[in-house]
Amino acid sequence: MIFVEAGTRSLRSFDAQLILAEQLSTRGYSACIDAEYLPENAGRGRVYEASKFLVDPDEYEVDTLFVLGAEDIGDRLLASLRQKQLGADVPVIATGRFATQQSYVGAKSRLAYALGREANVIDLTELQPRSLLPAAASPLMTEIQPAPRAVRKVPNVTIVLGSMELDNPEILSCFSRMSNQLVYNLRLIVSGAQKEVIRSSPFHDLPANLYTDLSPHTLARSTDVLVMFGSGIAGVRMADFTIELIASGGVAIDCTDDEAIVSSGVPALLGPKTPLALAGYLTGKVLGNTSQIAEQATRSQWLHSVDISRLEAAAGLRPKTRQPKERSQRTLFYPTNGVGLGHAQRCTVIAKALPGDISPIFAAFPSCVPLVRREGIDCIPLVQRTDMTDNANGNDVLTYRRLGAALQAGDTLVFDGGHVFDSVYRVILERNLSAVWVRRGLFPDGRSRHRMVQREKVFDRVIVPSEAFDELNDTYSHGSHVHNVGPIFRQVTQSEEESNQLRSRLAERFGREFKQLVISMLGGGVASDRSAQLQAISGMLEDREDCLHLVVTWPGSKVQPATFGWTNTRVVQTFEATRLCLAADLVISAAGYNSVLEVLYNKIPAILIPQSAPYLDDQERRARALADRDLCAIITEKEFMKLERTVSDCLDQGDLELYRSALEKIELPETGAAEAARIIAQVKDEK
Amino acid sequence: MSVFDAITRSAFPKIAYVIEPRFSGGTSAAVAAELRVAVEFGIVEVHAVTSKTFGENQNVAPVLRRVLDELRIPLVWDAPRISADFVILHNPAFLKFQDALNTKIFARSLIVVTHENFLRPGGAEGFDVLACLSRIEEATLALRKYLAPISPYNRKTVKEWLAMSRIARQWAVLDADWFNICQTEVQSPCEKPEDRRGRHSRPGFEKFPSIDDLDSCFPKHAKSNVILGADALLNAKVLRAHWKMLPFDGISVDEFFSMIDFYVYFTAPTWQESFGRAIAEALAAGKVVLSNPETAATFGDAVVSCHPGDVDQIISDLIAKPDRYHEQVTRSKTSLAQYSAASFRTMLASVLTAQSEVLR
Repeated sequence: MIFVEAGTRSLRSFDAQLILAEQLSTRGYSACIDAEYLPENAGRGRVYEASKFLVDPDEYEVDTLFVLGAEDIGDRLLASLRQKQLGADVPVIATGRFATQQSYVGAKSRLAYALGREANVIDLTELQPRSLLPAAASPLMTEIQPAPRAVRKVPNVTIVLGSMELDNPEILSCFSRMSNQLVYNLRLIVSGAQKEVIRSSPFHDLPANLYTDLSPHTLARSTDVLVMFGSGIAGVRMADFTIELIASGGVAIDCTDDEAIVSSGVPALLGPKTPLALAGYLTGKVLGNTSQIAEQATRSQWLHSVDISRLEAAAGLRPKTRQPKERSQRTLFYPTNGVGLGHAQRCTVIAKALPGDISPIFAAFPSCVPLVRREGIDCIPLVQRTDMTDNANGNDVLTYRRLGAALQAGDTLVFDGGHVFDSVYRVILERNLSAVWVRRGLFPDGRSRHRMVQREKVFDRVIVPSEAFDELNDTYSHGSHVHNVGPIFRQVTQSEEESNQLRSRLAERFGREFKQLVISMLGGGVASDRSAQLQAISGMLEDREDCLHLVVTWPGSKVQPATFGWTNTRVVQTFEATRLCLAADLVISAAGYNSVLEVLYNKIPAILIPQSAPYLDDQERRARALADRDLCAIITEKEFMKLERTVSDCLDQGDLELYRSALEKIELPETGAAEAARIIAQVKDEK
Repeated sequence: MSVFDAITRSAFPKIAYVIEPRFSGGTSAAVAAELRVAVEFGIVEVHAVTSKTFGENQNVAPVLRRVLDELRIPLVWDAPRISADFVILHNPAFLKFQDALNTKIFARSLIVVTHENFLRPGGAEGFDVLACLSRIEEATLALRKYLAPISPYNRKTVKEWLAMSRIARQWAVLDADWFNICQTEVQSPCEKPEDRRGRHSRPGFEKFPSIDDLDSCFPKHAKSNVILGADALLNAKVLRAHWKMLPFDGISVDEFFSMIDFYVYFTAPTWQESFGRAIAEALAAGKVVLSNPETAATFGDAVVSCHPGDVDQIISDLIAKPDRYHEQVTRSKTSLAQYSAASFRTMLASVLTAQSEVLR
């Protein structure tokens, strides 16, 4: 394992460590960083990026040790080097930009004192006389791609705003216009302050990433044309991005005030100093000629100065060709976990509709794993989010690592969920995956809708499983990549005889005869705790001697102990809730997407109790659409006192028949699982 | 004295010292000791040069300040020009971060005392010697320019460096070592030595051997292990329950010596003491000193030359035979005598005497 260390500890030097670790990893080496280096203020993006490299040094053997920024070596590094007690055969390589011979001699001496032997100290000013960022601890070298890059149908243009002020409203308006045309995809790289300005402006939906949202390597791979504004180079990450892009056949346009890129000898174009003139420059001079511009750059002597093989030679490293594992393309479904297991169940329905030549696998949270596996589909378990740690998104970092380990270029990721996690976003870009977002509708109102669709661009297709009724099908985004398909849910057929047999078995199992079977399914996912409602329902059914009340949850759901205290109420944990519902006289259910569609398509009379939470879908709208058509009864949050009367109306006053009759008559759209499966198969074939 | 006087007069020599007076260790102590001798040979001026090595302050090393006060020699800071018969510049390494020596030197003889080894063990440069000597050369008009090594090991590195350097012909190397004046009075050793070990040094990484070697030198079974100057070890949390670890100024040196019978001193193998002032102090304190052969060489058989792995056996033998312990301490007297003020006086007289140059 190559350990990448730094002379001093700071965000800047940590970025340099990350960049070199990534470069080495790309070249086939196993590189890592001692977890002690992770700065406290690393920020969300860096934590994801670093998670691939951070290790407990006691768990790995040092094959080679790299020290960056050797022109400034602190005692902490020296102490750690001394404590490592490296064997004499472990190469120690240090790089630095030494302004004087004394600086070089001093660095060499200090390392030698700590190591008890000499290190191989490489003066980067010799390898790279004109550095793009002379103050960088990073060697700023990269792999030179021998072949020209494939031309994307619609090129990706990334604009780095640098130190640009956004006080002129015309600038954001201009970027907004640029982001809405079709000849290129626009992405902005901005600072935290700039992002705040964008968020609070009318152009809040501009596609903007922070500097640390994605690694320079990923940025370079997902960018065809880079435009840099501001004064100077906006830090080591952007310097590395520029170098990697040009070395991999991309085009860089220097729009900086001081022509910082071009003046360093980098083969970049000199562009307009104001973004207001950029659109015309891009379409008129650059976009049609990217291949020729990149080809010209390959003839630049500058490329030689950033060729990482020269650093490898100086360091005595031998690159290893890391062959991707030979295996067939993989289609991986990642359903998020909401109120229930609806996302996972929808995904299994789609997965089972895929053509026979695709063997899907899943990555799912523990509550969903049995559901997936019982369908005969392999499943990688993920770690559930917990409030027990300070790091709220720690589980998503683990998801990121697991998805990253399971997927490679050319694979397909199908994500089902409302919020595109960082793990999903990053893995798609980093692994160059085909990606499909299964996104059912009825998002809650408000700004969060915009945030939800902001990451849509990384998906090749968006599949929108429709609701049963048109008025519920809101549109959140447009484009040829967005596909509306029919409702997707698990369909179960059960004859009357089978239902009767099931009721008999329930009577036998619970040791009591009943005439009325009531099922309560109020959800048992991580997002809800409906124990108060269940207690109320159980209480009101307690006096009905001929009634059996089953509280049905997914296996593994939390059930409050109080639920077990009722004579007429029993708890059933099952994946076959629909079969129980088909055998029931009345179902009291939340109004989640799957539950409602199962009620509708299986014509099950129900009382819907919509659940509400800021991040849930709008269940009340969904339930109201059914109630308005007399297909069910509805009890909203504010109407809970109506529950007893509504239950009585259903069980005693014949309302159930009213609903059954309406359900029989209603016309419903064709289901969409097969179409969704076809779209996924098509995406897989495209790449 | 005019420039002309400086390069023609020889009857009543003027001796100018050029120093960076803020060195906290051996250099300032050595200069302080030799000033007492130098004043016997002529009119002594002491010039301080502010270098980037120590920043902007004017904190003179206390040992030097005491002697200057005692001899009533004013310290002249950053004089634009120094004219003297003999200019003695101590430790050129203080110029390692300088672009220039801003003081012009006019002298019959310039003597540059090389307190720091030019090369480290293995041959790597100890500092940017060429730059430092070039800064001096560029600022100097002198009939003769000498490098004055302070010990046989230091001399070896100076000569080896010169052999590789294009400026070798600009510099002659003095034959006699410009040694550190040491205390020659040796305290009586303890009657019955115990396994009480210790070391004392500045806390730099170069002053300490590997952790394995430290563990060998200061084992659990020793009665006590005192490490004075353990700041870096403490910072790095290299802790042992059986080590008494004290920061550099944690206790006085006398107090430290009262806590030990054996002074066990090894450094990083990539660094070498040029003289070993701390060792001389331990010898004068009546302790048995154990060190690596190169460091021991400066003090002949007064220091037990060994390797860290041998330390335990040697100490256990000496404890078992107190006579041998006493005999070992007795050797210090002869060794330290060669570094007495009287010996330095003799050396300085030969250097400053015109005949010594004529008869070379």
